Amino acid sequence: MTTMTESAQPRPISFAFLAQIILIMNSFIMLYPVVVMVFSAFKTTGEIFEHPFALPDFTQVQNFARVLGETSMPTYFVNSIIVTGASIILILVLGTMAGYAVARYESRTNTFILLFFLAGLMLPLKLAVIPLFILLRDLNLLDSRWSLIVTYTAIGLPSAVFIMAGFLRSLPAELEDAARIDGASEPRIMWSVMLPLARPPMAIAAIQNAVPIWNDFFFPLVFIQTDSAKTLPQGLTTFMGEYTTDWGMLFAGLTIAAAPITLLYIALSRQFIQGMTAGAVK
Amino acid sequence: MPVSPKQARTLKHRSWVAFLVVPPIVFMSLFVVYPILSAFAYAFYEWRGLARGEFIGLANFREVLFGATMGPVVWNAFLHNVYALVALMIIQNGGGFFLAWLLYKEPFGFRFHRVAVFVPVVLSTIIVGFLWKLFLNPNFGIVNQALYSVGLDSLAKPWLGDSSTALGALILANAWHFIGFPTLVYLAGMQRIPSEIVEAARLDGTTEWQLLKGIVWPLVAPSTTILFTLLFIGAFNWFEIPYVMVGLDGSPFGTTDVLGLVFYRTAFGNQSASIQNFGQGSALATLLFLFIVVFASMLTLWLRRREIQF
Amino acid sequence: MRGLTMNLTRRMLMGVAMGGYLLSAGAAMAKTELTFWSWRQEDKTFYQDIIKKFQEKEPDISVKFETYAPENYQTILSTALAAGRGPDVIQARAYGNLESIATPGYLLALDKQNVPELANFPDSALAAETLRSDSKVYAVPFAMQAQLVVYNKKIFKDAGVNPPKTWDELMALCQALKAKNINPFSNGTATAWQNETIVGGLLSSMLGKQFEEDIVSGKANFTDPRFVNALTKLKDVSQYFAPNFTGVDYPSSQQLFVAGRAAMFAGGSYEVANFKNQNPTLDLGVFPAPVLKAGDEALIATYYDGGYAVNAKSDKKDAALKFVRFLATPEYGTAFTNTLKNLSPIKGIKIEDPITQEVAKLAEHSMSYLMLVRFRYQEPSGSVLLQSNVQKMLAGQQTPEQAAAEINKGVATYYKPFQK
Repeated sequence: MTTMTESAQPRPISFAFLAQIILIMNSFIMLYPVVVMVFSAFKTTGEIFEHPFALPDFTQVQNFARVLGETSMPTYFVNSIIVTGASIILILVLGTMAGYAVARYESRTNTFILLFFLAGLMLPLKLAVIPLFILLRDLNLLDSRWSLIVTYTAIGLPSAVFIMAGFLRSLPAELEDAARIDGASEPRIMWSVMLPLARPPMAIAAIQNAVPIWNDFFFPLVFIQTDSAKTLPQGLTTFMGEYTTDWGMLFAGLTIAAAPITLLYIALSRQFIQGMTAGAVK
Repeated sequence: MPVSPKQARTLKHRSWVAFLVVPPIVFMSLFVVYPILSAFAYAFYEWRGLARGEFIGLANFREVLFGATMGPVVWNAFLHNVYALVALMIIQNGGGFFLAWLLYKEPFGFRFHRVAVFVPVVLSTIIVGFLWKLFLNPNFGIVNQALYSVGLDSLAKPWLGDSSTALGALILANAWHFIGFPTLVYLAGMQRIPSEIVEAARLDGTTEWQLLKGIVWPLVAPSTTILFTLLFIGAFNWFEIPYVMVGLDGSPFGTTDVLGLVFYRTAFGNQSASIQNFGQGSALATLLFLFIVVFASMLTLWLRRREIQF
Repeated sequence: MRGLTMNLTRRMLMGVAMGGYLLSAGAAMAKTELTFWSWRQEDKTFYQDIIKKFQEKEPDISVKFETYAPENYQTILSTALAAGRGPDVIQARAYGNLESIATPGYLLALDKQNVPELANFPDSALAAETLRSDSKVYAVPFAMQAQLVVYNKKIFKDAGVNPPKTWDELMALCQALKAKNINPFSNGTATAWQNETIVGGLLSSMLGKQFEEDIVSGKANFTDPRFVNALTKLKDVSQYFAPNFTGVDYPSSQQLFVAGRAAMFAGGSYEVANFKNQNPTLDLGVFPAPVLKAGDEALIATYYDGGYAVNAKSDKKDAALKFVRFLATPEYGTAFTNTLKNLSPIKGIKIEDPITQEVAKLAEHSMSYLMLVRFRYQEPSGSVLLQSNVQKMLAGQQTPEQAAAEINKGVATYYKPFQK
């Protein structure tokens, strides 16, 4: 921003230099562990122990082949996609419905509805896991992907309501009024006039929720028992338990588990950062 | 009964609004409100496995807070949560503020550093936990290997097995995982400071430190409030990192035990104890829950008031 | 709001129940399929073979074998059982863990009528699967485990040393190995429960059967000199554990031993098969905990792993009982012992594997694996107390006297004989 004027003075140059060194060190600390993880995945356990920092032979892919071939990792991966995808869709549908009603229709109950969802935003559902567990058992959802989908939807819904309501409220009333004069029905106005404009907040709500859902471990730990319904983080603990002494396999498993979201993040870093910090940045 | 056109419109209108509002509210009631209210209720009952027994009043709460068995365990864990909160406030949030300030000046490589600091944030806590557990292995992990290779053998330690370093190691692993979050929240806060204010201060010849203390810090106070509240909730719900790195028992000998682990052990049992107590688990959850809600709202109010003063 | 949700719950439940009814009606036409749950992921092929053998006898019954991670198994099982679901046949644990699922009535009581094969078992094995409150047996025991010392014969031979008999011999042996730059033990204490197995493997002979009797009768408690002295000796020998042993977790200590980087491993007899799987070239032997002075009885610490139980709510109890009876035959016990290298408690089986034979012979002189067998029924469990206090003692954070006093204090909160 003001680097031009600064560089004219002698002292800020050393400041900028120091800042650069700190930033480079920090980025190194942030990235190097990930790099070691990936490198180790191409090594045998012996090589990891003898030469932990050496560059590996990148053609040595047998660890990856084994993780994908002889473990349930691919199943966990598919489950994570299904659970995250279904939860996000439900969050967006329900969140848009409530957000739209609150934002576009005057009602005495609006404050109540917003407070209701605000409470949901504050309360850590983790602590209600026992009753949730019993409820899911009574609904016969325990040990299925649905148990996770409904839980994640419940956790993500409040933030989606606020994001959607906040955005939809900012849209000018003229848009609706014009459509209303043309005789369009309320559902039609919502679907064809307003929602097409609401894609950016939807993307934010989706990313904000997708990352924590994709990464969650606690609820599957409690709700899911069958191997075929496990998601990636929980499946990873099973996997780590099975291959405890084979470090090459462990690092390959971690790399495979980390790869999809990391690559996606690198490709869409702006959207990720915006989405994930949306709750804390107003 | 005949319905006037206007009434028909409002009726139709009302049912349309109801159609929009009712499903989300029913969903939230069923999967959030009902379980949370039940958690309170469950804490007043005796439990045999998953079967609810007698109403026993406050007995579960008494046992959790003051019982000969549970009391010391709970307070020991609580203390560790407090340590984690304070340490993370300094390292994670404080460090984040500092990094944000460096990034705010958009130095060379700004975009790279910004993306890099956020990479660990998108990883699953489970991956982060396992990764650091392997790195901190006393004989094969890269941390000690690196110390050996530069001749600092005396600094090499069994990090997770030594009671003086284990909790610190968990806290640092957590800070590594999440420091990108406060960094980028603060950065966004700083970038919203009107540039005229900063320019004007610079022209007045204010030093870097005065600028930071007198202008930037007060103006990003809303970020501080929200980051602290999130950290507070996170620190008292801490579970995944300890679970993966030191196990359910808070090894070594309870020096890394935190309330999340105590709660899980109490409610769902562990191999060496075989006892599962939903009543005491619910009592613990209820207390934690009240603690978080009361303190978080008080803090938010207090920090908010501070914001206005500036 | 509550009424609304309750109603919804009930309606959905009814729907589910109807669905379940239709399904089970359909299944009754075909042959009976049993589900069988276990935490032994590593034994999957063995159980599948056994199921095949069973089906040769009972072609109308098929068995579906499903496994879960051991650390979550108990939770998963009790959850499923409480939900009125769960498998027809259950691999259950023993002692306190068995009680937690037998007490609420989830398991079918077994007796000489419905399982005549119970006669094939020694009383101590059945006792492990008996509920203390009603003295009924709830599972057919499957394995006896022992805590002892496993050693690498090749390392011993190369170093020119023999398995020690007395504690002094053990210390001398460790010193000799150390002098040759060999890690004596690969054990580490970072994983809490490993501390209990180490105590069982190394200290049993010094504690002795009399100590167990005195604890049970209340004549002695854990502040007894025998217990404190044994802990002191353990503290002594811990200097010969893995390097940085306080940070060495269970997998790492296994790894050190399997890689031939240490000569001994104090732990379970079940490790032998495990080590061999990971490194088939290992030549292994076992010896009991060293005695204090020559002439004392050398002991190993034994316990029963668990048993096969029948779900009381199963609608295929007859078929399930048939399968469980099969799992109680000497034919099964022989296959179990020889394939899995675990000791079956069934009488009169023929052991082929030499190490298993050795363990069986050592088991003639044994005491209980004390905390698991006697003190895992209430909180704080003796196991948790022993694990954390020994871990603390070995880290140099408390003396053996303090550790013993802490353990005693915890157990005394519920154990009547200590409260006098």
